[in-house]
Amino acid sequence: MSEEEKADRPIEPSDRVKVVQESAPGGAEEYRWHTGLNRPTGVPDAIEFIDVHKAFGRNKILKGLNLGLPEGKISMILGPSGTGKSVCIKHMVGLLYPDDGDVLVHGESVPNLRDEELFEMRKKFGVLFQDGALFGSMNLLDNVAFPLRQHTDKSEDEIMGIVNARLAEVGLTEAGDKMPNELSGGMRKRAGFARALVLDPDIVLFDEPDSGLDPVRTALLCELIQEIHEENGGAYTVITHDIMSARRVAEYIAVLWRGRIVEAGPAEELFNSDNDFVRQFLSGSAQGPLGME
Amino acid sequence: MARSVADRSIAPARDFFEQVGDMMILTGKTIVSAVRPPFPYGGEFILQFLFALRLCWFPLLISTVAFGYGAPGLQAANFLVLFGALDRLGGFFVLASIREFAPLVTAIVLAGVAGTAITADLGARKIREELDALQVLGVDPVKNLVVPRFLALMLVTGLFDIYALLFGIFGGILATLVYHAPLGPFWATFFTNASVTDLWGSILKCTCYGAIIAIVCCYKGMTASGGAAGVGRAVNQAVVISFLGIFAFNYVFTQTLLATHPEINVIR
Repeated sequence: MSEEEKADRPIEPSDRVKVVQESAPGGAEEYRWHTGLNRPTGVPDAIEFIDVHKAFGRNKILKGLNLGLPEGKISMILGPSGTGKSVCIKHMVGLLYPDDGDVLVHGESVPNLRDEELFEMRKKFGVLFQDGALFGSMNLLDNVAFPLRQHTDKSEDEIMGIVNARLAEVGLTEAGDKMPNELSGGMRKRAGFARALVLDPDIVLFDEPDSGLDPVRTALLCELIQEIHEENGGAYTVITHDIMSARRVAEYIAVLWRGRIVEAGPAEELFNSDNDFVRQFLSGSAQGPLGME
Repeated sequence: MARSVADRSIAPARDFFEQVGDMMILTGKTIVSAVRPPFPYGGEFILQFLFALRLCWFPLLISTVAFGYGAPGLQAANFLVLFGALDRLGGFFVLASIREFAPLVTAIVLAGVAGTAITADLGARKIREELDALQVLGVDPVKNLVVPRFLALMLVTGLFDIYALLFGIFGGILATLVYHAPLGPFWATFFTNASVTDLWGSILKCTCYGAIIAIVCCYKGMTASGGAAGVGRAVNQAVVISFLGIFAFNYVFTQTLLATHPEINVIR
């Protein structure tokens, strides 16, 4: 089957991540916009969420999440604040486990991995946390070099070569000796980006890379994500609620609301969706199903 | 309604037992991680050991001398003078200082000074997502952060117990001198009553206090949530739980030691 045919084929029942059909516990009204439609991309999924439920105390965050993030593409999980986007990232890397359901990374069930296997599996990932999550006791060079020193046998010269190249990519060549508390929020984020990419991971996760950045820096960061993805490939997943960023870099979009996918699919198809919620969210309009509640 | 009230009253107890269970699991994981190769925690162990030593030596010196002089020293001397038996103060110091006060004061100072620093440090790292980043980078935080603190605090409390014994007894000497009594009878009753069991019992108990403090403080730090206020809350809870754990363990340990070594019940 050609790529075009694959993209045009209807959703098969055998598709692992498919239309959400279960009835909502809060009543059908709450999920009336959630078609759960997952438009095919024609490539296999690097990460799959299968009917994932997660609650913190009485606060249910994920309520039957079904989602597939395709291999080799820049995917974006979009949604209003507090819908569980960051919780999704933590499930992917095994920092949180689902109360019910499964999370698969390259077909491996993350919740069923033993500790050693989990630490091994995490080497596939690069994660950019919201505030960079740099180690406060190390300068920038050591922060970016940390994964290389932990997981490779490279010589110190090789490591410094790679680290300097990564820092140059994110425009931080001069800041190598600075400690994280001497950097601005944007610089910390860019440094976190350099650290996330230093091992050339198969899967890179970005948790709101645009938060706290000015529009120009956001645009530059998006460009950087695209460039590095073109260069290295892999499955990139960006968590954001910034529509401009989505328009710039997304190849695949999943819209998350109230713990479930409203709709997912290739970016251009989502931007032309006739789902009222998706249309409202992707146009940033005040009119539509999403209110202040 | 009734169910909701019942839920609310049971929830804190359930939460407490869950936390105790989690701390037990952390203890198990820490011991397994400590003995199973690889051993990447040597450098961090030394740093934590020196950190606790640097922070605690002076507060512990002041606390043990002041406590030894004030509580078992002056109070007991005041009582013994009534019977003309001030010479028994040395024997009393074996009971008071070696068996109880030295380990207890050491644990209180260690929990208050080093334990809170550990909780605050790990809590801040947790809030800044550094711990998550470590795990994502394939680094086991139990092996790399908890194990070195656990071992360092155990070693340092064991050593500090001897230090606290010496300065605690010095408090007793001061009390004797304040009553213008000679030191000979003090040392005579002291060495008549002291036994090797008292010494190793004291050091072992204090080392276990260190383990309790390390586990509680690491656990509370690594599970801190809710920003800066959450770290403050975690520090407060860490101290309270450490003290509760220490007192509960002291009861079990003392009962066991007295039951298994009846000879130390005899006052000579």
